[in-house]
Amino acid sequence: MTRFLLRRLFQAAVVLVVLAAVLYACFYLAPGDAARLACGPKCNTAQITQIRGQMGLDDPVYVQFWHFLSGIVAGHDYSTGTDVLHCPAPCLGQSYRTGELVTTMIGQKLPATASLAFGAMVLWLVIGVGTGLLSALRRGTVTERLLTGFTLVGTATPVFITGILLLLVFCSWLQWLPYPSYVPLTEDPQQWAWNLLLAWLALALVEAAKYARLTRSSMLETLAEDHIRTFRAYGVGERAIVVRHALRGALTPVIALSALDLGTMFGGALLTETLFNIPGLGQQLVQSVQIKDVPVVVGIVLVMGLAVVVANAVADVLYAVADRRVVLA
Amino acid sequence: MTVEALSAAEGGTDAVASAPPSGARQVWRRLRGQRAALAGGAVIALFVLVAVAAPLLAAIEGQDTTSYHAGLVDSASGGVPLGTFGGVSGSHWLGVEPGTGRDLFARLVYGSRISLIVAFGATVLQVLLGVLLGLAAGLGNRFLDGLLSRITDVFVTMPALIFAIALLAVVPDGFPRPVLLMLVLGLLAWGGIAKIVRAQVLTLKSLDYVAASRLGGSGPWRTARRELLPALVAPVVTYAAILLPSNIVSEAGLSFLGIGVTPPTPSWGQMLSSASTWYQADSAYVLLPAVLLFVTVLAFTVFADGVRTALDPRVASRLRVGTGRRKQAKADAGSSGTVSPEAVASGKVSPDVAEPETASRKAVTGE
Amino acid sequence: MRHLSFTSRRIGVIAVGLALAGGAVACGPKSGDDAKSGSDGKPKQGGTLYVLNNQAQEDFDPARLYTSGGGNVPSLVYRTLTTRNRADGAAGSKVVPDLATTTGEPSKDATVWTYHLKDGLKYEDGSPITTADIKYDIERSFAPELSGGAPYLRDWLEGAADYQGPYKDPKGLSAIETPDAKTIVFHLNKPEGEFPLLATQTSFAPVPKAKDTGTKYAAHPVSSGPYKVISNENNGEHIVLKRNPNWSAATDDQRKAYPDTIDVQSGLDQAVINQRLSAGVGKDADAVTTDTNLGPAELAKVTGDKNLAKRVGTGHFGYTDYIAFNPKVKPFDNIKVREAIAYAVNRTTVINAQGGSSLNEPATTFLPAQASFGYTPYDPFPAGKTGDPAKAKELLKEAGYPNGLTVSLTHDVTKGDEQGPEVATAVQEALKAAGITVKLDGQEHAAFSDKIHTLKTEPGFFLTGWGADWPSGGPFLGPIFDGRQIVDNGANFNNAQLDDASVNSEIDAINKITDLKAAAVRWGALDKKIGEQALTVPLWHPVYKRLFGKNIKNVVISDWTGVLDISQVAVK
Repeated sequence: MTRFLLRRLFQAAVVLVVLAAVLYACFYLAPGDAARLACGPKCNTAQITQIRGQMGLDDPVYVQFWHFLSGIVAGHDYSTGTDVLHCPAPCLGQSYRTGELVTTMIGQKLPATASLAFGAMVLWLVIGVGTGLLSALRRGTVTERLLTGFTLVGTATPVFITGILLLLVFCSWLQWLPYPSYVPLTEDPQQWAWNLLLAWLALALVEAAKYARLTRSSMLETLAEDHIRTFRAYGVGERAIVVRHALRGALTPVIALSALDLGTMFGGALLTETLFNIPGLGQQLVQSVQIKDVPVVVGIVLVMGLAVVVANAVADVLYAVADRRVVLA
Repeated sequence: MTVEALSAAEGGTDAVASAPPSGARQVWRRLRGQRAALAGGAVIALFVLVAVAAPLLAAIEGQDTTSYHAGLVDSASGGVPLGTFGGVSGSHWLGVEPGTGRDLFARLVYGSRISLIVAFGATVLQVLLGVLLGLAAGLGNRFLDGLLSRITDVFVTMPALIFAIALLAVVPDGFPRPVLLMLVLGLLAWGGIAKIVRAQVLTLKSLDYVAASRLGGSGPWRTARRELLPALVAPVVTYAAILLPSNIVSEAGLSFLGIGVTPPTPSWGQMLSSASTWYQADSAYVLLPAVLLFVTVLAFTVFADGVRTALDPRVASRLRVGTGRRKQAKADAGSSGTVSPEAVASGKVSPDVAEPETASRKAVTGE
Repeated sequence: MRHLSFTSRRIGVIAVGLALAGGAVACGPKSGDDAKSGSDGKPKQGGTLYVLNNQAQEDFDPARLYTSGGGNVPSLVYRTLTTRNRADGAAGSKVVPDLATTTGEPSKDATVWTYHLKDGLKYEDGSPITTADIKYDIERSFAPELSGGAPYLRDWLEGAADYQGPYKDPKGLSAIETPDAKTIVFHLNKPEGEFPLLATQTSFAPVPKAKDTGTKYAAHPVSSGPYKVISNENNGEHIVLKRNPNWSAATDDQRKAYPDTIDVQSGLDQAVINQRLSAGVGKDADAVTTDTNLGPAELAKVTGDKNLAKRVGTGHFGYTDYIAFNPKVKPFDNIKVREAIAYAVNRTTVINAQGGSSLNEPATTFLPAQASFGYTPYDPFPAGKTGDPAKAKELLKEAGYPNGLTVSLTHDVTKGDEQGPEVATAVQEALKAAGITVKLDGQEHAAFSDKIHTLKTEPGFFLTGWGADWPSGGPFLGPIFDGRQIVDNGANFNNAQLDDASVNSEIDAINKITDLKAAAVRWGALDKKIGEQALTVPLWHPVYKRLFGKNIKNVVISDWTGVLDISQVAVK
């Protein structure tokens, strides 16, 4: 098990480094000058030369990339001219534009992204698992049709459309909710939830359908298993069977998939963050890509990739626990 | 059992595997039996027709996509269209755009062209690349297979949307945007199809008739052409049908982020993006592209599902619950990654639809 | 990003605002029925004023700030030799003394300027403010470590061109003398009648050498103004200011300083700012914004709501958005082609693309429509409200293009930007009627500004804008049309690369005039003379429309900044 996890993490690390290298190369070839970005347009040539030196931009691209990689392990010192800015490991470098440490920036943006991802997960689990269980336990054409429709709509609607429609309905027509403006959880939990609600819903509605289907089929499968049948034969009540025995087995794949999706959401809610003004990693990434702030882009992508990797490992473990048929090679 | 063999074997049990080669007529008959799929097909046909006939339709209305109508908007109030439903009138069937007063009907019908062209082009590219690389991996030696599989994994794992944004920012502006979008989507999202083809090939390779052909002295490419390609048609067509709507969504998503086609070329995603700031003052402007995108993607999704069932009637519809044959939980979960748009947005531009769930999970970690 | 209130155009170029989904309509609970708003009731001291902004107050160091008139938030902490007059409208574009007793005593040819400090001036720690500290801040602004400030002093001060700042060169600038603690004398290398206007900038604020912490100074600057910095988080994203007990209203007749605390929160989405101000829930009733205009879609809502309409401050900042030509690029070397484009432009559709007539006034002059700039109405190529394509075609024929021509228009791809795709397409469409096919060359924000300000890459036909560093013709016409300001370092603003001896000498002549009113008349005449060469096509002058909270009193909006002055505002 440990060996399996280690191997997987190693492979994931390789993939991440390759990703970072490709990104670096991409931006290196792009037009635009990082020193100018750092200095602003009214910098004269002398100032730009100095900044280029400070930022190490005169080095060949592979040397810069190596500095970046070694910074992650060993940290890095940056000169600001009058003094030295120490960037402790894991150092992801310094924004070309603002000079802020990338790790600091990510630290600031992470809470918003995490709020979005976790809240959405709770919602999709509630909606998805609820619907799924209902249709598994009350099998009939009505619930099945409903679920079919739900799946269809969930599958066919891009999140930015769901999002815009939610804004239109709840924020503009009904005026039940405020136009979303992110409030940190630590500042005001009620406002936090209130302002994120539509974003959570937009994501959850898109995701919930597949959870409903998974829950349903997983529940049906579990209910058909031998040990459940044995319980039934012993006269255990249906309610107890479902709640105490079947649910646990049936929900394992649901939780595993949730872990996976949570990871994806950490790296993927770009459109949602943009639409709902959530100052998270996705929004920062889009902005940094557009101004070609390479260290920030690479740093955020790495963190997002890491989230996916960790989520996968968690999902793997959950699966292994749930289903011994999965061979851990 | 090695991982490769495991995923191959699981691929073998899944929907797309080794469908018995069936005649086109038979497939058509099965497809005809599905009302939803037919309706989806009809909607698609209508959209294609509209896209092709866009100049004609605009001419019938008597408008074009670029003419400004300053008189139709209230300049002092920020340019909101005068009149109801965003300025709907006899000469502007769906109203006008706030600020500019450009005709929305013309822009929408022309916009469908971009959506469809980019999505079709990207899908063709994805299929070509995926089939080629999948075949090479499946037929090649251990080293080639290992190398190609790792490369495929990188492409499946990486956040494709982010790369698309980066690439779009890097490519010089002179490059024609629709072609660029096609290339970016196509080059980034072939991983899923390659994995499926490879898994199929590995399964097929062990089958008697393929083995016989190889023993008979056929080279790998000859074997591929004569024995494997025909057997790959069904899964590849199925997968392509699912990729298409996801490509439509990806194009709209990129345009929504402001990095799709450049103005004044209209596209639905771009219209949606500018409309998102107007949703209260002019909700008709938001609803039009949103509903059109929704209906198009829905039609493609339903149609793709129909095609899948028609090609291999042994599997249940991915979309219908309960009425089809019950499948085991894990395979069902596999269909989950489908065209969930945020997943598409998040980088899985290739929806791991037809793959067994475990395989797609392995893909994400680079296993 | 729309218009930056307290900054010049140059700052505007640096600030990267990606209004991806910006400007969405404010919605949600209606703004309530209490009509109590605006300036009724006498302003009183106390309370907390909240400032909700989009752009962070980056580089809060007085040596790095590039402000017009000392800025809005910075001016609460940094007093300067002179400052802008805190008054509504045109009166607000005057310069008045701040730390100094006068706006400056010029020598006969305006090359030597002398200032004396007022009595009783103190820092937040109670220590006295000296002229040596002002000299020191100016020297700091030359340090490459503290880049960002206005470039004027480097060009104006004698022998300062290569000065590298006090960290590398502690000897300092010999062009600035401080014969005693209350006197400071500036020696310029050429006459500059507008020196008092430059002295409003924060490089003329005092920084005590002993308290200087280099690049970290911005986090805890030593205040000379009515407020001191309590905290400055994330490089100006959240700044909290509290009353400075050592500031005395007796020495400062400009800043009212009613609130006890000022809380500046930046990094907010523009749509969010407008939503919060219009809803005005809780603390937001005591809030203002200094950098966020109402968007077009929001205007539609505000115009329909009387209570909201009362809470909109309207201001004018000296700014012109225009089409620029580079006559070194064909076919724009031909004045007939440039004139044809000037005739063909439809200012109505252009303005609609930029938010409509409430947010923009059509421009035919390069100088903003304000007396302090020397505004002289003229329209050398009268195109009417919607353009004159027939006249344009005629000119094209004369220019040798009877069948029209194809040109490429370079613009910024940032949505909603003044140089953004919306404006570009409006120009494109207008020129179509005159037989000119315009290809759009959209550039990413930073690449765009890089491209148009670098001589080698400057395109022939592009969108740009210019704002005043102070309300006068000098900083408006000089950088754009003075041939000696053509620079090959990526910061060239003389887009037409005009190097006309008569223009240059007239600029020199006006700079000698210390009577600003007399100078303004000459600037206006020069503007008209240059305008006839069709080197630019002025499109519009922006109008600022900004919401303020329900409890805000004493709203003062000067023509210098166009934004409500937070040193005047009261929340009680």
